[in-house]
Amino acid sequence: MSTAVAPREEVVSVWNGQLDIHVKVGGSGPPLLFLHAAGGPRWLAFHDSLAADHTVYAPELPGTSPSDPYAIHKIDTFWELVLIYEELVRALGIEGAVVVGESFGGMLAADLSAHFPAIFSKLVLLAPAGLWLDDEPPGWFEMASGSVEAVPGFLFHDPQCEAAQQLFAMPDDPELVPTIIAALTWAQGCSGKFLWPIPDHGLARRLHRVTAPTLIIFGREDRVMQAVYGEEYSKRVAGSRLEIIEECGHIPHVEKAAETLSLIRDFLQS
Amino acid sequence: MKVLYIGQGPYRYLPDDFAERYDSVVSTPYFDLVEPAKMQESMQSYVEELLLAARSGFDGVTVTEHSQSSYDLSPNPNLTAAILAHTTRVEGLDTAINVLGRSLGKSREPLRIAEEYAVIDNLSGGKLIAGLPVGLSYDANQNGGIPPIETRARYREGRALLEKAWSAREPFAWNGKYSRYPVVNIWPRPVQQPRPPFWVPGSGSPSTLAEIHGHNEVFTYLSHFGPKLTGPTIFNRFWEMAEEHGRDRNPYRLAFMQVVCVADTDEEAERLYGQHLQTQFRSSFGSVPQAGFSQPGYTDIRGVEAILRGHSEHGIASRLREITFRELADTQAAIVGSPQTVRDMITEFVKEYRIGNLLVMLHGGGMPHELARRNIQQFASDVAPHLRGIWDDEGWEHQWWPTGIGSRAGAEALAPA
Repeated sequence: MSTAVAPREEVVSVWNGQLDIHVKVGGSGPPLLFLHAAGGPRWLAFHDSLAADHTVYAPELPGTSPSDPYAIHKIDTFWELVLIYEELVRALGIEGAVVVGESFGGMLAADLSAHFPAIFSKLVLLAPAGLWLDDEPPGWFEMASGSVEAVPGFLFHDPQCEAAQQLFAMPDDPELVPTIIAALTWAQGCSGKFLWPIPDHGLARRLHRVTAPTLIIFGREDRVMQAVYGEEYSKRVAGSRLEIIEECGHIPHVEKAAETLSLIRDFLQS
Repeated sequence: MKVLYIGQGPYRYLPDDFAERYDSVVSTPYFDLVEPAKMQESMQSYVEELLLAARSGFDGVTVTEHSQSSYDLSPNPNLTAAILAHTTRVEGLDTAINVLGRSLGKSREPLRIAEEYAVIDNLSGGKLIAGLPVGLSYDANQNGGIPPIETRARYREGRALLEKAWSAREPFAWNGKYSRYPVVNIWPRPVQQPRPPFWVPGSGSPSTLAEIHGHNEVFTYLSHFGPKLTGPTIFNRFWEMAEEHGRDRNPYRLAFMQVVCVADTDEEAERLYGQHLQTQFRSSFGSVPQAGFSQPGYTDIRGVEAILRGHSEHGIASRLREITFRELADTQAAIVGSPQTVRDMITEFVKEYRIGNLLVMLHGGGMPHELARRNIQQFASDVAPHLRGIWDDEGWEHQWWPTGIGSRAGAEALAPA
């Protein structure tokens, strides 16, 4: 059991001084970069667990930091985003760190590694986006263009489970709710810049360049990036290990936190 | 006041329970719902009604753009506008062609819009009103595949390119973020110089209105909710912001869309049109899913928060799928009645909010062609003449009206030698 200490915040200037990236930093030990999903940054119990034996760096996608929602407009393309994150890794001095990326963040982690094969020592990809199968297109678009009420059912195998309820819980003070929902919505808009309309930037043709040991985790019942994408990833990353968690949706580190953590720990210690 | 007809082209034979079973855009199943002959008839009736409006003396006819939609079979309004431009010209009709707009936020080929508008301005003899909409979210983002957060930036770049393509005397290169061309030198250029008037449709957000006043252009307010629900907020904001920008109170700065059904008596109007109106609102705009109006990123983060804090300017939007005729009539989302009733209601809000251009929607949903014809003709003969003089005593000049109107050049130029 880890002792949760609130993460501190670092602000890192990149992109020739054009962008200030806000990074939550917590824990101690070897560096671990965590790249968040399309819903935006959030420090969870999962991060505390990782921080028990790592220094966790969790950068916020430009635009998702409350202080500057319009920073997203300074990035034109996904390729620029990849370069910006590579600069960030160097600015933080954590080349060779472990990277853990979830969904959109997994796509970014994989493409960083494909562009810069030495940038990470190990990759953990949690239901990563970035690939496309014509016969089974990701459910992501259906979720992203559907009603808000339907989102929990997309993200969780069991949207009634306690972990899901906790994730979607709103503060008691109703004054705070609109700000939180607006931020969540905007975060999807920011990541949507690189996901919309088809979250495929040709990664499939580059994945062979990933040489770091890679663990790929998918939920069997993932409706956003179906588990078949786990097989696609594992086929394309030589020597990678694929783990599919039963009765689990798109957020394994929340819906099946213990199982996911145990898989990650084994992998990082091996 | 200018009185323009506005047409939308719905498929007219949707099932009665459409609103309960389907969305009207993006996902509506074509082959399950459509009989080919009835589709052709729906589209022909739509064009015929636009032409009837021109022939009945409306000051202008208006077309709209919606892709992948069962309520407006108009993926490119310029196709219809070209028919209207040519036909009105050969018939010698002095009718403005108001293209409410090809969406510059959606288009991946803004230069094509500049070209199409220029063609229509030539075909019509300088009678084009060039609408410049950002585009609805579902249309730009879902149908058009534009990342929502880029919609407005694309709109601004596309507009800048359109204006330069119309006016540049020398070929130029365009190295934009979204469009790149080694050489731009379009043919033809618009007849109207320096350019056709710009009317900007929208739902009246402060940022949209600030741009409109900044550019000194016309705002076309398309609420579908009539004057009472959202009108006071939006119209008052429009005129307050006009003052802030140093603009005068010229009513021709403002255009407003209103659904109207007119018959000899109030009772007859309700009997003839009530059911059709209810179906129209339920199955068209009302069946656009809420998410379709704002994909994440389409609306600015501060706008989203303002809406969540209850400053909604979306009127009865969330209830339209179950809306009743009575509520539509009571809220004046639809103005229904005898010529006198309709005249009085319109005159009241037009004067109160200083509206100089009224866009009247006289057909919708499954309303049969014959009934639409009747509505158009009766509005043209019994209502419109009483509205045109509303602003005459104030003596404003309409600076945003096509310069080809009234020139009579059109018909004569085309007459065989």
